[in-house]
Amino acid sequence: MKNRVLLLIIAVCLIIFSCKKSGQSERFLLLTAPTWGSDSLLANGADASGPDGMLKNFKGEVKFNEDLTGNFGVYKGTWRFAFNETQIVLTTDSLPIPLTTKIAELTQSSLKITTSYPNPLGVQTNIRMTFKAR
Amino acid sequence: MRYILIVITLILSLASNSGFAQGLIKGKVFDSNTLEPLHGVYVIYLKNQGTITDEKGVFYVKTDSSGFDIAFKFIGYKPAVKSVVTTKTDTLELNVGLDMEIQEIGQIVVSANKSEQKIAELTVSMDVLKSADFLKTHITDAQELINKTPGIEVLDGQASIRGGSGFSYGAGSRVLALIDGLPVLSPDAGSIKWQFLPLENIAQIEIIKGASSVLYGSSALNGIINFRTADATNIPDTRFFAETGVYGKPKNRNWIWGNSPQLFTTLSFSHLQKIGKTDVGFAISLLTDEGYRKFNDEKLGRISLNLKHHNEKVKGLVYGLNINTGYNAKRDFILWENAENGALKQDTSSVSLLHGNFITLDPYLSFNNTGRFKHDLRIRLQSTNNRFPVRAGNNSDALSFYSEYQLYYKLSDLLNFTAGLSENYINIVSAFYGGHDGINIAGFTQLEANPVPRLKLVAGLRVEQNELDGKKDKTVPIFRTGINWQAADYTFLRASFGQGYRYPSIAEKFASTTLGSVKIYPNPFVHSESGWNAEAGIKQGILIGKTSGQADLSFFFSQNNELIEYVFSNYPDPVTGIFDFGFQATNVEQSRVYGYELEFALNRAIGGFNTSLSGGYTYIYPVEFNQTTQRNTDIYLKYRRKHSAKISINSSYQKFDLGLTLFAKSKLLNIDDVFINELTRESILPGFFDYWLENNTGYFLIDGNLGYKVNKTLTLSLAVKNITNTEYMGRPGDIQPQRNFSLRLSGKF
Repeated sequence: MKNRVLLLIIAVCLIIFSCKKSGQSERFLLLTAPTWGSDSLLANGADASGPDGMLKNFKGEVKFNEDLTGNFGVYKGTWRFAFNETQIVLTTDSLPIPLTTKIAELTQSSLKITTSYPNPLGVQTNIRMTFKAR
Repeated sequence: MRYILIVITLILSLASNSGFAQGLIKGKVFDSNTLEPLHGVYVIYLKNQGTITDEKGVFYVKTDSSGFDIAFKFIGYKPAVKSVVTTKTDTLELNVGLDMEIQEIGQIVVSANKSEQKIAELTVSMDVLKSADFLKTHITDAQELINKTPGIEVLDGQASIRGGSGFSYGAGSRVLALIDGLPVLSPDAGSIKWQFLPLENIAQIEIIKGASSVLYGSSALNGIINFRTADATNIPDTRFFAETGVYGKPKNRNWIWGNSPQLFTTLSFSHLQKIGKTDVGFAISLLTDEGYRKFNDEKLGRISLNLKHHNEKVKGLVYGLNINTGYNAKRDFILWENAENGALKQDTSSVSLLHGNFITLDPYLSFNNTGRFKHDLRIRLQSTNNRFPVRAGNNSDALSFYSEYQLYYKLSDLLNFTAGLSENYINIVSAFYGGHDGINIAGFTQLEANPVPRLKLVAGLRVEQNELDGKKDKTVPIFRTGINWQAADYTFLRASFGQGYRYPSIAEKFASTTLGSVKIYPNPFVHSESGWNAEAGIKQGILIGKTSGQADLSFFFSQNNELIEYVFSNYPDPVTGIFDFGFQATNVEQSRVYGYELEFALNRAIGGFNTSLSGGYTYIYPVEFNQTTQRNTDIYLKYRRKHSAKISINSSYQKFDLGLTLFAKSKLLNIDDVFINELTRESILPGFFDYWLENNTGYFLIDGNLGYKVNKTLTLSLAVKNITNTEYMGRPGDIQPQRNFSLRLSGKF
């Protein structure tokens, strides 16, 4: 009898966990599955990954964890989808505000996100970051 | 043979006559204190025989028994038993005065289960505010009244009960406001239109502290506030008051603006009367307020009419119509000029005059014949219009049609059953939000059981679905349950669990605007938020000598998922794609709130003094929660305070009435990063950050009032609010009123 109860509990747990897994969207799985490596980091069309570049801290590995935490280059923080999974919002203590980015491309091998950083005093900076799955 | 038949007929006739020769007991049941006749009192005699008193409190009992007991039972009153001895031809008159139970625990409320119940027997926490109490303190604004209730904070119009909400810029209330049990949130912003709630014609306000979505649906995630209008009684009741007041100088003399003090004036009138079989209620209120802040003035008028007709031919059939309508012209305060010398002056970039109209038409029909069945059909047609003369793009017309059918069925003395269906159709026409149609359809059921004496069990289920612009949202089932056990005569233990949810408002999904330097971006993909709360509590009635009252202690816990917050970020414009800084409603916050609350009320009459002492203390620990790890984070929820307390004392002696209320609230634990962030803080609220560092320390307030009865009809009273002239703030940039004085002449006849 005890064994049957145990089997039942295991079965229920399996169903619950399998449900949770299958409940995640395709985009969520595509984003969280690989570890991404920075490929090109462009600010206003120019490379900004160099030592003085504004995107230098995004250089290196990027990982979006399933628990919505992540490493984005040297930044550590959280991420979430927004606007029906067409945007990714990155939040870290190192960035002054949460950074909203549009997903330009998300495949098994490639992630391209774009954003702009408004500058009230001047021209805003258009950012395009491409990552490849490792 | 003929002789025999005559004898038999005679014997039968005599027997028959003796069988129908009954004694008659007639009498009247009344409140022993007010002498007001009591309608609906159960008059029970012998075994399973009884009647109820009529509208004049009168009852008739015919019986052929000669000696027996008659019991009189009425909710809110102590039962009484009288022994009677009659003969078969007697007519006995029996007048009975019933004593109220300890008032605080015997109060009758309807909001918790949508049926009349004693407050002590509820399974959830409820506060009741009586109009007589708040009128004394010169409170004419429902928002101020609710904000001064223990455990509740209203930040710039958004109510938060026991830390269940923060501040989300006026959109999407998690507390549902109701007038007579029907929702009155604005259909577009999902906010409470406090200014249109008819305080001049209120019997009492019932506040449920905790998720109440099973009975009231979406928006009752954090609780409900039910404004119950007054019913006419046999004695016509007319009241009025005229009040004028002045704002003193702010504590910070650099903030003084204008050359003369700012004034506010209120005129109020109400009348209740029974005309034949029809109860009539009418009330009107007019207000002008120059505002203690520059560009923050208001003119307001509201009228309410209540008609209730008791059908003469069909016993128990009642129908009527309630109308509430109002108009206001006001300029809301959004952003200050600066902290140094402009905290009480609105930045001209956010100044906007609003002309608002509001009307609700509530026809209803109720049928309650035997006491076993009760049918209620209620409808609310609500229209709100916002007109901005200089920002026509923010104009909005919103219409809603709410209808609800409810069946109450007393299955037995041990079991009651309530079930109902409701729908709420909304239509929005607005340049601000766009044009939208939506409908909410719900079914709910609830069982109340008394399996053994002194024990009450409640369980309820609601299934609800929202549809917006033709797109159906998922069907949401929600559940509640509770238990109340009367452990001793005046001791009641309770525990409850309730789920709640809230469908986003039109404003949260579609509002797109600029207020000064603040941009709001639409988010049509924002979805429902949900949660649950659990509570355990004890209510203890107190009756010591001439002191009576109650104390209530509750421990509560709530957890909410995917709460909608306005998040500051760089967002792409949905049309042009150009990024800019601004706010957008986002399902971002998971929260947990732990806490406890102690409330008490005591009354004592000694000599000519009648004194009441009441108050409450609420402690909350509000923290963000990580769904993945299932653990609390160390981050406090925004716009919550750990401690809040209130104590109020009121004493009357002969013609004088004196009241004093003390409030204390601890500091705000957390606010939106945008007000602290170096990048943004100065452009939104100049000087706020330094002010916040220095002044976010909590606050302590004292209000006082003194009344003098000029004669039987008129009373003259003076109220001073914020006696210590404390400088304090609600949401960032929202400095609260400095010391102000008001003089009122009120009458009751």
